[in-house]
Order: sequence, then structure tokens, then C-alpha cells
Amino acid sequence: MSVLAAVLVYWIASLALNVWLANRYNTRLVRLVVPAIFGITILVVWEGVVRGLEINPVLLPAPTAIGVAFAGALDTLWVDFVQTFVKGALSGYIIGCGAAFLVAVAVDRSPFLQRGLLPVGNFVAALPIIGMAPILVMWFGFDWQSKSAVVVVMVFFPMLVNTVQGLQASDHMQRDLMRTYAASYPQALMKLRLPAAMPFIFNGLKIASTLALIGAIVAEFFGSPIKGMGFRISTEVGRLALDMVWAEIAVAALAGSAFYGSVAMIEKAVTFWHPSQRGQS
Amino acid sequence: MRSILPILTVVLAIFVLWYGMAVKLNAPWAYDKAKRADVTLSFSEMVADTWSQNKPRLPAPHQVTREIWKTTGAMIAKGKAFSKRSLIYHGWVTLSATSLGFVMGTMLGIFLAIGIVHNRAMDMSVMPWVIASQTIPILAIAPMVIVVLNAIGISGLIPKAVISMYLSFFPVVVGMVKGLRAPDHMQLDQMATWHASRVQVFWKLRLPSSMPYLFTSLKIAMAASLIGAIVGELPTGAQGGLGARMLTGSYYGQTIQIWSALISAAVLAAVLVGIIGIIQNITLKRMGMAR
Amino acid sequence: MNKLLTAAVAASMALGASWAQAQEAVTLQLKWVTQAQFAGYYVALENGFYKDEGLDVTIKPGGPDVAPAQVIAGGGADVVLDWMPSALASREKGLDLVNIAQPFKSSGMMLTCRKDAGISTPADFAGKTLGVWFFGNEYPFLSWMSKLGLKTDGSDGGVTVLKQGFNVDPILQGQAACVSTMTYNEYWQIIDAGLTPDDLVVFKYEDQGVATLEDGMYVLGENLKDPAFEDRMVRFVRASMKGWKWAEENPDAAAMIVLDYDETGAQTEKHQKRMMGEIAKLTAGSNGALDPADYQRTVDSLMSGGSDPVITKQPEGAWTSVITDKALN
Repeated sequence: MSVLAAVLVYWIASLALNVWLANRYNTRLVRLVVPAIFGITILVVWEGVVRGLEINPVLLPAPTAIGVAFAGALDTLWVDFVQTFVKGALSGYIIGCGAAFLVAVAVDRSPFLQRGLLPVGNFVAALPIIGMAPILVMWFGFDWQSKSAVVVVMVFFPMLVNTVQGLQASDHMQRDLMRTYAASYPQALMKLRLPAAMPFIFNGLKIASTLALIGAIVAEFFGSPIKGMGFRISTEVGRLALDMVWAEIAVAALAGSAFYGSVAMIEKAVTFWHPSQRGQS
Repeated sequence: MRSILPILTVVLAIFVLWYGMAVKLNAPWAYDKAKRADVTLSFSEMVADTWSQNKPRLPAPHQVTREIWKTTGAMIAKGKAFSKRSLIYHGWVTLSATSLGFVMGTMLGIFLAIGIVHNRAMDMSVMPWVIASQTIPILAIAPMVIVVLNAIGISGLIPKAVISMYLSFFPVVVGMVKGLRAPDHMQLDQMATWHASRVQVFWKLRLPSSMPYLFTSLKIAMAASLIGAIVGELPTGAQGGLGARMLTGSYYGQTIQIWSALISAAVLAAVLVGIIGIIQNITLKRMGMAR
Repeated sequence: MNKLLTAAVAASMALGASWAQAQEAVTLQLKWVTQAQFAGYYVALENGFYKDEGLDVTIKPGGPDVAPAQVIAGGGADVVLDWMPSALASREKGLDLVNIAQPFKSSGMMLTCRKDAGISTPADFAGKTLGVWFFGNEYPFLSWMSKLGLKTDGSDGGVTVLKQGFNVDPILQGQAACVSTMTYNEYWQIIDAGLTPDDLVVFKYEDQGVATLEDGMYVLGENLKDPAFEDRMVRFVRASMKGWKWAEENPDAAAMIVLDYDETGAQTEKHQKRMMGEIAKLTAGSNGALDPADYQRTVDSLMSGGSDPVITKQPEGAWTSVITDKALN
């Protein structure tokens, strides 16, 4: 009980600290410190609850136990990371987003195709594509190629829809201006419409970045070689090594956040002119 | 209405592609079978075979349609619409988890968004973690969520709905934060000159102007919560729902069954998103915001 | 929302409580989806054998990602069905699982290979790709391979291991030379898919001397100390074994009962009846009591795993005959 009480006190204290910090200062440092304190608080509360209530480690291990497992299995985690993230997710992400982008540019010249493709693309983007994972594993074999294929299918349509929308984002005035300059189609595309489409394209890229890792991991549940994050998670659950499972989840969360973060940073550099990026330090 | 022809063209192209792929993917098995039976196949025989295999790698559209009809329409005709072999029953199981999860996720999302917009501390501390939360592979922890909730005496519908909620609150938070911040300085200043309280600003300005954003994110959230429900049904297996149909289909190599569950899920998603679209149209029209 | 939730929870608890007064509740967690592999329990439920013993039994189907050991640790079940290797491995993780009854005498596990992949004896495995189930089911395979002296980490001279999904696609599509199958289930899926027994070579774990005990009933050791729980288990085992023997004698009827309980509606009559026939062969030699010799063979096989044994020390108290002694005599 005393552990729980201490956790409660810590929780309130750190919340108060955060509120104080956030309302008093607005520097870059505070913007980093506040979420960090919040994250640490979650970990401490988690640890305290697991210890205080003596939760069985096969149900929910404490963060310290996860940390120990993490540090003790670095090479396994690295092999899994390469297999799932680099080979599966990243390659699928690049192929899928690249293909969607090219298709979007290709149909851009035909309003007929656009009007047909956009609603269908929207429909497919809302589909539970995850259900295709077992089928794609059947088609593309067990190694990373099938994982990559699942990722391609998952990211293609969100990316396509966003890019097609983005290419229509420049308004009539701007396009007319291009015409008065006697710009050719490639010129208008490169100088006006692609830059104008960037916020939409990055929106698609960001959505796709969270989908990619999930897709690759899910696909491993339906058959895989004996490495990979999804393989490790499902195997270690069966062995009741929950600390290892959570270490693997931590890797996924870290990799996913870093991936999302780097796409967001590139976005910031490319679309510095857009209202949503202005006024932020 | 002028979009109908283009859409039909695209759909037609998909069907042609589908039949073509079916031939290509199923041909090896057709030849394999023929070789073991010592017959040679002509091209037309081969094509006919690829479109009528029992367990094809890719079933042809008409096979899937027939299976769907067998498990929906024909079931209704026999008065067994809710038998366990009917896709209507499984669709219903999935739908109930989806809608409960959607409602929970939307509520959570809106509450978080209100907090984030009105409280700087929450804005700074919660937002990055909301994004990080979505990078956790939910399918990986879905079985554990179900076991842990079981441990505290919750089972059945709620665990699946919790997974749905987990996936669906994210778009709502992101969309609502954007929406609640949509009013520009002019409008906020106007409210200030009227000496409006924060509550009044919220109800009279922020909430109404967030409506277009809300509906857009609700559509995404609905699709996400359907995925969540299906994912929640995959590991628990054997307890009904479209996800369980896909799983058992995969388990017994019944590709036609996987595809028919997949198509039903697609139709379900389309209908649910369509309903939100209709509500959106009506609401925005009434509020004078329709474009 | 919250109110609704609490009301619903309260209502369901009240319902549970009123049932418990009339009949004592027992929850059984299966290892896999509803199928004839578990016919005995469904028969006992359907024919009222449990009711006759004053038990209100709930059967929870499993699935590819449901670990029975985790469910029982979380209090989601009173009894779980598990394979002994994974149960003993869980014991080493600190979960006190105790075998109270063993309706399955023989192992149904085997490795099924294509002849055209060039395999006729276990000596041909080297350099081939073999499909294996994981999730706690890989232990018998690993101990067999280490007995054969084959490495499973992908190094030269060893075998390449593939985590197969829940189906037999890898062997049908030539991605693996062999896949894991059960005599009562996956083997027939290969046959149904169009390969004939002549195209295949099968290696039964039973014949290779590496058979381990499957589908035993396990409970938590701490619960067994409670005489009331013990008494419930005695009645549960007695009724379950009655169900099993009924299923052995009436395989077709038992398969139909299983079909009625299948929530997904995906099982077919033909497959379940055939499965029931094969299952009956495996349960035939057991009256429910664990044979200490079988147990010792399982333990020895698991401990012989060379540098990486599945379990590291002789388990103690991993099984008890208390329940079966009382239930069957």
C-alpha cells in the first residue's frame, strides 16, 4: 500500500511541476522537458502499480524488468529490427509511396481518370487492408518480401488520395498565371503544382509512416522466418517471456516515433511557407 | 453524377485485372493437377479451371459473390439470417464491437482535444505521447489486452471495443485539436470584446467551427475502429466476427471465405463511413457551413 | 457511458453469482479453436455430464495468439489445456502449473514432407527448410532436432526453420520441404488440397521416440490447496473423461456436437468427423490418469536439448495423481 501511496504523491507532484513549467515558461527546453516528465511519470506509475499490486509478471512486467530484458538482448533486437523495419517496412514504404506518387502524377493529366480513381481510392483506403495480410503472405512467401508487399498495399491508397488531392490544391488564379507565362505542363507541374501539393503529400507520408511498421509486424503473424519483431512478439508471448515482448514493443514504438519524427522534420524544411508551419518556433 | 462513368470505368478495370490475376496466380496449381492426372490442358480449359478451383490462391469475383450470397441472401431466404454460418451474424458481431469502440474513441478523442486546447500543460505533455501511442503495434498487444481485461473480469465485447477505441481516438484528437483552433484571431478578439467567458467561447465559437474537422476525422476514426475490431477478433479466434472468419479461412486455406469476409468488411466500412457522410451533409447544411 | 458500463458489469456479476449458488462455475480454456480435438469437453457439456456433477462449465475457445498459461495466470480460467513442454517451460518462468489429468495417451504431432523435395529419412533434413509452429509449440521440434544433432539457427549443416502460419501453404507451394502437422488436422488439409499420401513422407514424433504429452489439463498449484477447488476438479475430470469415452464410442455424433458449438461456422462436417476418428486413436489408451513413464519420457526429451535445453532442471510437483485417483476410483 505504501508503494501505491508514494506513486500517487509522485504523480501529483510531477503533474503540478508540469503545469507550473508550462504556464510559466515557453522556451524550447520546456517544450522538451514537459513531455519527458510526463513520460517518466507514466513509467514510474506503471512500475509502482505493478509492484504495489504485485501483478504477475506474465501479465504485465514492470518497466525495470523490461529494461533489463532490453539491455540483455540487444543483438536479437537489432536482428529483428533489421528484418522487420529496414527490410520489410522501409522497403515497402518507399515502393508503396513512390508508386502512389507516380500513379498520382500520371493520372493528373486525365480528369476522367481522376474523377474515377479518387472515390475508389478513398473507398479502398478505408478498407481493413490488414485482412489481406494472410493472402499476401501466401503469394509472396515467408521472408521479408511478403511483409514489404503488405506495407505497399497499406500505404498505397492513403498516399495516392493525398497526392491527387494535393495536385489540385493550386487555385485557378495561380494556374492561369502559369498559363500567361506560357509554362509547359512539366514546368507548371514542377514550379507550381508540386510545391503546392507538398503539405498534402507530407500528410500522406506521415499517415503511411505509422501504417508501415504496423503492417510489417502484422504480416509476420501469418508466417515468417525465425527472426523479426512480429515473430519475436508472438513467440515470446507463447513462452511467457513478457519482458522480451515489451522490449520488442518498445523498439517498435521508438522506431515508429523516430520515423514519424523524421518525416515531420523534412516536412518542416520543405513546407516552411505553409500557414500550419508558420508561427512555430 | 458526372463521376459515375469514370468510377464505373475504374471499377471495371479492377475487375478485368482481378480476373487476369486469378488466371496468372491459379495457373500453376491447375497445371500441377493436370500433370499428376496425366492430361494436357488447352488454354481455355486452363482458364476455366483457374476460375473454378476449390481453394484458389486468388478466387475469381464470381466465386466470391456466390459465397457471399450463400452466406447472406440465401440465409435470409431460409430464415436463418442469424445462424453462425451466416455472414450477417458475423458482420453484426463485428459491427457491435466497432460501434462501441467508435463511440468510446470519439468521446476520449474529443475530451483529450478539449483539454489540449485549453490547457498548455496538457498540450505540451500529452500530444507527443498521443502520436507515440499509435506507433505501438496494436495487434501485438491485442491478445494481452484481452487477457489483462479478462483478469479484472471484463470479457466479451468490451476488450475488442477497447482495441477499436485505441485506434480510433487518434484521428479524432488530431482533427479536433486542429478544429478547435480553427477560429482566427479576429474571431477570438470579437468574442473578447463581447466579454465572453471561456465556456461561452467554446460553445459559441470553437465547437461550431470545429465541425467540418470533426466529421472528416470521424470518417477516419470509423474506418480505424473497424480495423481495430477485426484485429481484436483475429487473436481471440473462434468467437465470431469477420476477423474470426478471416482467421479460420486462413487456417483452413479457404481463400474464398477470406475474400468474402474481406469484401463484407469493405461494404460494412463503406456503409458506416457513408452514414457519417450523410450526417455531415445534413449538419453542415443546417449550420450554413456546407460547401 | 460509465454508468452504463458499471451497470452492465454489476448485472453480469449478479447473474454469475446467482448461477454459482445452484451450480459451481468452472471455466476451461482450450488450446486452440473449437474442433473435434476437444470433443470430450463439448460432449460432456452438451450431454449434461458436467451438470450431473453440479458444475456449470464455460468453455473458452483458444486461438493462435491465446496462451493458455497466460490466461490462467490472469485468472481468466480455472483449468487450461496445454501441451506438457510449454507447461513445463512456463513452470520454469515461475508459473505453478500442475497437470491434473492426461486424457491424451499418444502424441498426434508429426512432420510431413514432400517426397519430391528429396526427403525419405530424418538424415535428409540437413539443408532443408522445415515449417514449425511457434508460440510454445516449437519445443518438441527443437528437442528432436537437437537429438538428431541438427542446428536450427540457420548455420551450415543445419536446417532452415520457418515459422509456419496456421495452415499448410508452405508445403503446397514448395516454400518448405516439410511442415508440422497433426495426425488429426493439418495432414488432412494437405490431402484435401490435392496431394496424395504417395506424394508425402510422414515422421511421427511418437515413432521417432521424441513424443511429448499433449492436451493435458492444468491448474494452478496454489488453487489445489483449497479442498473445495480440489473437489470441483475431481468432479470436472470425472465428467470430462465420461465425455471423452462417449466421444470415442460415438465419434460421428461427437463431431456434430462440436460443430454446434463452433462460433465461426467455418468448420465442415467432413473434416470434423475425420478429425474425431483420429482423435479417438490418441485418447484410446488413457483413462485420464497420467502415466509416470510418459511423463518421464517427456521430461527427458525436453532436457536432452544439448546446449539449449527447453527446461534446465527436473521439474518437481509438475503433476499430481490426487485428482484422477479420486475421480476414477
